[in-house]
Amino acid sequence: MSEVIVITSGKGGVGKTTSTANIGAGLARLNKKVVLVDTDIGLRNLDVVMGLENRIIYNLVVVVEGNCRVKQALIRDRHYSGLYLLPSAQTRDKSAVAPEQMIKLADTLKQTFDYIIMDCPAGIEQGFRNAIAAADRAIVVTTPEVSAIRDADRIIGLLESSGVRKIDLIVNRIRMDMVNRGEMMSVEDVLDILSVNLIGAIPDEESVVIAANHGEPVLGSDTSAGSAYLNISRRILGETVPLMDLNEHISLFHRIAGLLGKK
Amino acid sequence: MKRIRKQVSYTSREIAKTRAGLTVAADRMDCSPELFSQMRHELYGILSKYINTDDDNVRIQLTFFYRMKRGISDAKTIQIK
Repeated sequence: MSEVIVITSGKGGVGKTTSTANIGAGLARLNKKVVLVDTDIGLRNLDVVMGLENRIIYNLVVVVEGNCRVKQALIRDRHYSGLYLLPSAQTRDKSAVAPEQMIKLADTLKQTFDYIIMDCPAGIEQGFRNAIAAADRAIVVTTPEVSAIRDADRIIGLLESSGVRKIDLIVNRIRMDMVNRGEMMSVEDVLDILSVNLIGAIPDEESVVIAANHGEPVLGSDTSAGSAYLNISRRILGETVPLMDLNEHISLFHRIAGLLGKK
Repeated sequence: MKRIRKQVSYTSREIAKTRAGLTVAADRMDCSPELFSQMRHELYGILSKYINTDDDNVRIQLTFFYRMKRGISDAKTIQIK
């Protein structure tokens, strides 16, 4: 039984694309066949995050318009043999694809893949409608900021009214040193406001930026962000994985700085 | 960091949480934060007819029951300042 998951957030720049790439890598690592679909037409970047930008020949719009077969447009990941990317078009705009076409595409992909992950563009317009059209479940990404939380709540409302049955939340870019100092909302604070199921929290780490610089997933490296993404992938498969203690990974220096700052 | 507050000093974490809670509540009710303060003034007008009090001592708390979320009705208490 394959599943279509949309990764969305409303607000831009909270880590949708990074999360998509890493969750995809995590599921592939757990021996699933996964395809990541970049639905941000006109502003593609999932290919760059995955380091596959030089291999693109065909794209989503060409496939949807029937000018090539789906298989021709799929690009295999460099690290995981079960992970594929369907890149978006850079030169077209969001109106090039309609929600019905996305549903048809998802049905085709379901024959080959266990998980179809849609990387949703920011905003709530056509691009969002396209991305959620075929979704069985959604993962909403937010950060502990007022603006991101507000947008996440709006997106959750829209997903519910569009009939997406399962909605989970990722809280990204948590800095426990700041939380301990009382200068950042904690994961619990965010959950108090949003009242949706938490599927994982990702610490704000340099490793995420460094991995993205190389065009590689942070998952698989020995970092807490990497293991947080792997835990999320496990939870998607239905495993019960306890939430990791983000405090464990704070250096002694930050801990002391946190204590001093608290006062 | 200097906190701009008269007596009680709130951390920016608490301020952010309050603001996020208020904006989300306002969005869900389709009621802008400006309307909140208008509502507060009107409620105060009504209250002052019955209670002898001045503006600074009044804290109005409202509890709203939202649309059903996955079968659980979601209640939230907000304080309008």
